[in-house]
Amino acid sequence: MSEKSYRDAIREAMMEEMDRDQNVLIMGEDIGVYEGTFRITAGMLKKYGPRRVIDTPIAEAGMVGTAVGMAMLGLRPIVEMMTVNFAIVAADQILNHAAKVRYFSGGQVDVPMVIRGPQGAGVQLSAQHSQSFESFYAHFPGIHVVTPATPADAKGLLKTAIRGKDPVVFLESAALYGMKGEVPDDPDFTVPFGQSRVAREGNDVTIISFSRMLQLSLIVADKLSKEEGIECEVIDLRTLRPLDLEPACASVARTHRAVVVQEQWKPFGAGAEIAASITERMFDELDAPVIRVTGEDVPMPYARNLELLATPHEAHIAAGVKRAMYR
Amino acid sequence: MSEIIMPKMGDAMTEGKVVRWYKKAGDAVKKGEPVLEIETDKVNLDLEAEQDGTLGDLAAQEGQVVPVGGVLSNILGAGEKAAPPKQKEDKKETKETKEPPKEEPQQRRTTDKKDSYKHTTGEYGEAMEMKAPRVDRTAAPKQGNVVAMPQSGVRRRSSPLARKMAQEMGVDLQNVQGSGPRGRIVAADVKNSGGGQAPSPVPQLETKQIPLSAMRRTIAKRLAESSGPIPHFYLTVDFDVMNLLSVRQQMMDIEGVKLSVNDFIVRAAALALRHHPMVNASWGDDAITQHGEIHIGIAVATPEGLITPVIRNADQKSVAEIAREVRALAEKAKNRKLMPNEYQGSTFTISNLGAWGIEEFTAIINPPNSAILAIGAAEARPVVVERQITVRDRMKVTMSCDHRVIDGASGADYLKTLRQYVEQPLRLVV
Repeated sequence: MSEKSYRDAIREAMMEEMDRDQNVLIMGEDIGVYEGTFRITAGMLKKYGPRRVIDTPIAEAGMVGTAVGMAMLGLRPIVEMMTVNFAIVAADQILNHAAKVRYFSGGQVDVPMVIRGPQGAGVQLSAQHSQSFESFYAHFPGIHVVTPATPADAKGLLKTAIRGKDPVVFLESAALYGMKGEVPDDPDFTVPFGQSRVAREGNDVTIISFSRMLQLSLIVADKLSKEEGIECEVIDLRTLRPLDLEPACASVARTHRAVVVQEQWKPFGAGAEIAASITERMFDELDAPVIRVTGEDVPMPYARNLELLATPHEAHIAAGVKRAMYR
Repeated sequence: MSEIIMPKMGDAMTEGKVVRWYKKAGDAVKKGEPVLEIETDKVNLDLEAEQDGTLGDLAAQEGQVVPVGGVLSNILGAGEKAAPPKQKEDKKETKETKEPPKEEPQQRRTTDKKDSYKHTTGEYGEAMEMKAPRVDRTAAPKQGNVVAMPQSGVRRRSSPLARKMAQEMGVDLQNVQGSGPRGRIVAADVKNSGGGQAPSPVPQLETKQIPLSAMRRTIAKRLAESSGPIPHFYLTVDFDVMNLLSVRQQMMDIEGVKLSVNDFIVRAAALALRHHPMVNASWGDDAITQHGEIHIGIAVATPEGLITPVIRNADQKSVAEIAREVRALAEKAKNRKLMPNEYQGSTFTISNLGAWGIEEFTAIINPPNSAILAIGAAEARPVVVERQITVRDRMKVTMSCDHRVIDGASGADYLKTLRQYVEQPLRLVV
């Protein structure tokens, strides 16, 4: 174990896998000479050379389309999106090609590739660059959707993504890049997809979250424990597709109340899917409606004060917990 | 001046009830403003003022039933004098004679003109029902008015968990005060309601004679035949069923079928009978018949009474087969669909009241059987093992024996064998 930032954990995962497998390569805008807008790829061009660290033109559809072709022929490309917002341009390549090739080829052709990059608000990138796309991608069968909340999970889940045989949309939280945490040094450390974890134990209410909101939920849980004696159990979903709700349901069976926290807008978000699934499965155990804590239903403002108001903060989550507890 | 009358909301309507007045006599009203709420057999609706003015005396109190066409109040224009509203007919008389009012009130509806297009699309009542849900005025009581609690049988708002808990605890939600939003009953309210102490409806008792059904006659005759002439004696044992419960759970997990403890007991009893043919026997005046086959009767309670469908050659059937068969026969028994060959010919019977929480009991032999097992509930009890008190799952079993066929020692031998099967349940499944 050693302490690393979320950013370094992602770089380390990619470099370990590039050392391990000659077929792994990375391509994206400004990732080589410039070493990445968020400096995720710092030092990689120097180490692996331009054949494996490829600077691309500003052409997301072209990047992803090229990567789909590479993956179909046996390479393991990682495509870095400067922000995941730009992947909308490549949505056809991701959803209609990467996610469908195995199906259309009758199972003959795999597409082992990773599309990764930062998303979400909190770093003043305004309305076009601060969106969250987990529910957009998780809606479609054929791709995995990964939303790590810690440096260790960022590393372990990215290694699983690179080693797997499926296309993966790997959604990093831009606001977490600087966060530090303990990360295993074992080059074979991986975190499997579809295994939620209990990030904090408690018996009063279940908070279900992922990515940056998971970290915020943990802060709120500690605060509520100290100040109000409310013990929240916090579940980290880690991947939204596959979605593992077993720990959440087991927790709700004890707490009888659930709060889902997401940064994204409320309508048709991941929280809606999670809340509906819990209601379907755990109806008789619920003592309160499943509460959603979400961002405000507006394009993300640039102004710092407005951006703070538009994203869930601690008071929102605490209020959601109390509503679920009738307090 | 315009009168407010009880409108006719459909051909079938003869009267309506005043639910509440939104205005007092002397209050100023505006055209289109709701003045009172009425209730018909189909719908509740507001009657609105036809003109601006002052509300006259109220001719009907809240809760009062008024015939169609009956005057409820009137609205006085500026300068008009307040006069007591005149009733066209005496209310009582109208009610007694039940004659529809002569005057057709169709043209005098005190409704806003805005709604009038609905009149052309069907009955007014239907039109009202088709409108968007009415604002629930009972939700926010004004001036501290006590809102009538929903009457008995009306659905109360409650959380799913609260409903589940109430059912488990035997709490009637009608007696629980909800503390959640909009009066929702939540788990804490059920917990604090004092559990099952809430009065549950006591069924009315009445003296009545229930004619003897053919089935009840047969039960009476055969059991009297049994306990009279058959000299019964009883042997009680206490089996340790911890292993059996564990094997049962494993089999259910592996095979994904539901198995009851009784299914295991049926197989155990049948296998034990193989070792003790004297117990699988019938008394006759000239001879005792030892049966070559083992057919186990299972006592099944039905609304009409007891019946004992038979698992044939139970010693040759697996627990799962027995479970399936018992389930099917019990279902048939409850629907009175059993064929005679399905309830006749048993050689041994098992009666199990464990599901009713009976710890132990004695059963009456089902002739021509010579013995019956009475199975109590499997439950955790403190027992002494190697001089230490420990908690084990135990089950009491009492065998009733026909002393003409079975002696005390041979009955006890049978139970000893049965114990081996029950306490070493792998013998039942391998």
